[in-house]
Amino acid sequence: MVNIVKGAITLLLSVGIAFSAVYAGGHSAWWKKAGAPYKGTVLQGVAENTPPGQFAGEVLAKEFESLTGIKVRLENTSWDQMYDKAIKDMEANSGIYDFVYIEQDIVYSYLDRDFLVNITKALAENPSIVAPNVNMDDFTTFIDYFKDDKGDVFGIPMEAFLKVYLYRKDLFGAADAKSGFQKKYGYALAPATSFAQWRDNAEFFTGYCAEKGMECWGTTVQGHTGHPASTYEFLESIGPSFGLYNWGVTEDFHSCAADGGSLNGARAKGALSFWTSMLEFAPPEALQSTWSEVASTFAAGRAAQGWVYGENAAWIASNKEKSLVVGKVGVMQPPTGPGVLTQAASGNGYIGYFDGGAYGIPHSSKNKEATLLWLQFVAQSEVQADWAAAGGRITHYSTFNDPKIKEMDQVADGYFTLMQNTGYLYAGAPMFPFHGAGRAAIDPFIYAALAGEKSPSEALDGACKALDKVMKDLGYQK
Amino acid sequence: MNSNRTAWLLISPTILILVLVGLVPFLYVLYVGFFNWMPLGKIKDMQFISLGDNYRELMFDEYFLGSIWRSIKFAFVTLFFELSIGFILALSLLSSFPLKSFFRSVHTLPLVIAPIVVGAIFKLFLVNGLGPIPYFAKEFFDYKFNYMSSENFAFWMLVVVDVWHWTPFVTLTLLAGLSALPEDPYESAKIDGANNFQIFIHITIPMLVPVLVVVIFIRLMDSLKIVDEVWMLTGGGPGYGTRFTGIHIWKEVFEKRSYGYSSAMSILYLYITIVICWFLYSVMVSRGKVDEN
Amino acid sequence: MRTSKILYKVFSTIIWSILTLITLFPIYWMILVSTRTPVQLFGKPNLAPTFFEKIYWKNYTKPFVDGVFGDYLLNSIIIATSNAFIVTVLAIMATYALSRYKIAGAETIFFWTMTNRMAPPAAFLLPLFLLFTTIFKFGDSTLFDTKIGLILLYCVFNLPFAIWLLKGIIDGIPKELDEAMIVDGANLFTVFTKLIIPLASPGIAVTSLLSFLFAWNEYLLATTLSSVYSRTIPTGLSEFVTTTGTEWGTMAAVAVVSMLPALIFLVLVQKYIVTGLTFGAVKA
Repeated sequence: MVNIVKGAITLLLSVGIAFSAVYAGGHSAWWKKAGAPYKGTVLQGVAENTPPGQFAGEVLAKEFESLTGIKVRLENTSWDQMYDKAIKDMEANSGIYDFVYIEQDIVYSYLDRDFLVNITKALAENPSIVAPNVNMDDFTTFIDYFKDDKGDVFGIPMEAFLKVYLYRKDLFGAADAKSGFQKKYGYALAPATSFAQWRDNAEFFTGYCAEKGMECWGTTVQGHTGHPASTYEFLESIGPSFGLYNWGVTEDFHSCAADGGSLNGARAKGALSFWTSMLEFAPPEALQSTWSEVASTFAAGRAAQGWVYGENAAWIASNKEKSLVVGKVGVMQPPTGPGVLTQAASGNGYIGYFDGGAYGIPHSSKNKEATLLWLQFVAQSEVQADWAAAGGRITHYSTFNDPKIKEMDQVADGYFTLMQNTGYLYAGAPMFPFHGAGRAAIDPFIYAALAGEKSPSEALDGACKALDKVMKDLGYQK
Repeated sequence: MNSNRTAWLLISPTILILVLVGLVPFLYVLYVGFFNWMPLGKIKDMQFISLGDNYRELMFDEYFLGSIWRSIKFAFVTLFFELSIGFILALSLLSSFPLKSFFRSVHTLPLVIAPIVVGAIFKLFLVNGLGPIPYFAKEFFDYKFNYMSSENFAFWMLVVVDVWHWTPFVTLTLLAGLSALPEDPYESAKIDGANNFQIFIHITIPMLVPVLVVVIFIRLMDSLKIVDEVWMLTGGGPGYGTRFTGIHIWKEVFEKRSYGYSSAMSILYLYITIVICWFLYSVMVSRGKVDEN
Repeated sequence: MRTSKILYKVFSTIIWSILTLITLFPIYWMILVSTRTPVQLFGKPNLAPTFFEKIYWKNYTKPFVDGVFGDYLLNSIIIATSNAFIVTVLAIMATYALSRYKIAGAETIFFWTMTNRMAPPAAFLLPLFLLFTTIFKFGDSTLFDTKIGLILLYCVFNLPFAIWLLKGIIDGIPKELDEAMIVDGANLFTVFTKLIIPLASPGIAVTSLLSFLFAWNEYLLATTLSSVYSRTIPTGLSEFVTTTGTEWGTMAAVAVVSMLPALIFLVLVQKYIVTGLTFGAVKA
């Protein structure tokens, strides 16, 4: 199996200069001219260290520099540090960063605190730096998350993915597994389409692996008892698939069932109970796993199925240097509870998280025009295909039809097709300006539920009260 | 030598720096503690609240009080183990045996490693899926080792890390104290026919009290502040298991962004820590007759 | 008598061997991890010293050569050295003043510097962040994310510490000696360079080394008050605090490098570390 990811990056790096005409969409003269007044500027950016981020920093930045003479230093760091550095810079107005990564769920907070430059307006005021080959309509609806209520854009999407269900084709296809499962549970072994089936699969494979002396378990669990990744897993993926939307918060900012909210309602409790009960069938590192540990757990072959972020699905399926399960990965839409799919399809709910992020410009940036050029560069439709191949992310409609992506789609068992056809069922985070504080209030309760210190019911009862207190203290709840 | 001007000139840079980065922050956090200030709230500005509203709320804040209690518990538990183990080790270093100085040098190593690096070392050592300890616990003892699986487990894991890190300090300090003990009382005691145990209880320990108090004072003072290792190893979890006051305040400031409330919290934390430390210090000074030297 | 002594020696050697193992084993494991590829780190931990056969150098080159950790290392060196230097110089001056002159309020100064040592840094995160980013403004720039900011900040801890250490030593140099020099027409600077520094040099060396070490090892305030340009190596580790699942090897490599000055100083500092950590209350 060709190592497509590594190949893509090497190929692009080595013939980068020659292809710069292609990247600039044949408009290289325009880019050279537009960049001339800013030649020699160094743009500093901070983002999360993901495969798409690495491609942007290593390949796209170099292309941009050779074309315009503007250097881009993209700092790809850990998720918490990215937030920490970006927010500190914008709060302090220290002008360290020219562009920052805006995670989808924090954009409302940034907009509320007026951190970001209005890109639509800035481009309107500076016609000389408006790139001729950037088509804003080619962006998928993901860009809507980064617009204000007037429709002005504050962030240029650079990655978008779904959190999908991954399963091990080899395990699910093994003859003895099939017969063993049929015998034990009375129906055919298959990737999970319901939570009861998920449970049966998990239980079965934990036993199966143990019997065969293999280091594998029935399911992953993103259950870090000391990092928000687990809270996010619950609020963004598990919860919605059981029908818990919007963190269970009502229009007037109440989350407890007693006041009309649903954070401690039946669906929420069902979700948390199911999820924590899966720990029994998960590898030991589950309680220390954020999304990146879950990815490497699956890549190490230690789980038969699991919820895994799309950005990792691509490299897990194809990169031999980092994954032991190349060629054995199956991709599917995660299961949902009764009625959830219908609600999502009609727009009254969603089945999971439409994850991703954009690059935005802080007001304190000292090089706004040059940064606008950079952001438009990465917004070009022409650069999207290689970027998608390297990072498993798609932000433009046209990318779905690119031959490279169609090929990659085969390797990744149809992940891109899934994204194209069912993306509408997923949604971003709720529009909470207090996102960070609210989540921090819920964290300890999720951790306690995972560690078994509290029952799921107690945990959610406590969590909704803590969240309500935050919303009240901050002045949102009347 | 009465030119006070020279003296002030010599000491003024020191005072200037300490005022600027020591006193001013203190005054500032004291000031902010009297305001309601929440950048994530609907009202983003500072609002003065009636004197002590934040403090009144803090007195009933179970999470803050819990973190104080947890910090104190941690400080005393680690002190107990470090003192006991350190004392025994110091005694053993009094007589000679092969490779003694090599062993002593290695023993000193943890003291110079940055706390955050100590956290990293143990994270790599104890994390499931990578570390040897969980793996071999399963292999040889069929025990599911997972330090993030319960609040207690994480707490005790940090105690182990702290003991690994700081016992050498206790050992070496007590060794220094023991080596400096005068000979005479021992000789008189031997002449009087006392046995080893009696000598230990009635002569060694009393003479060691000054050094013991120094050790206790410094260890307690430092372990009440712990943040780095905890952050690296557990992030303050699971639940509230390792959420010591330092970590709690960090989260209040940078996650919840409740600036006013966390300032009042910082002042209380400061107050409690300093009261405990000054109390110990005065014990140290009176008991041990140790002056500023 | 003799056998019990021999037994005791054997017993001690065994106990201390075990202790050495306990001390070194986690560090050994970290070094191992830093030399392995991601795939090699899956599955059963291999305790053999594979670094004698093959080292996956990418774990080191990625952060230090391709990445920004080389800059972080430089920052650490600059900040720790500058701080040690400034602290030593200022402490010599201040201790001399406290020792030779009667300064009004010396007691208060002492009380206050002691309190600085006792205070938990976490209590000052917010005020320092706000001061460094908004209030301490010099024209267009602030102290946030600057090396000088951290160098000054570490004085809060290191200065009192250095003054404590040096006070005993300088008190031990008889006043008569400098009085004699001054009578002979020497100025204060000469007194320092020709008398105080030479006589107190071992103590000064210890003070500098320990100040360097504390500044190098500091994490909490450095992460809060730095972002890109003044990041130090220990704070660089915070880029690995979480989401390390795919980066264990690199994290270990960074941690190994962070430890290097400690190892170098261990040899130099061993004799004085007790004196240092107890502020001279206990002399080794």
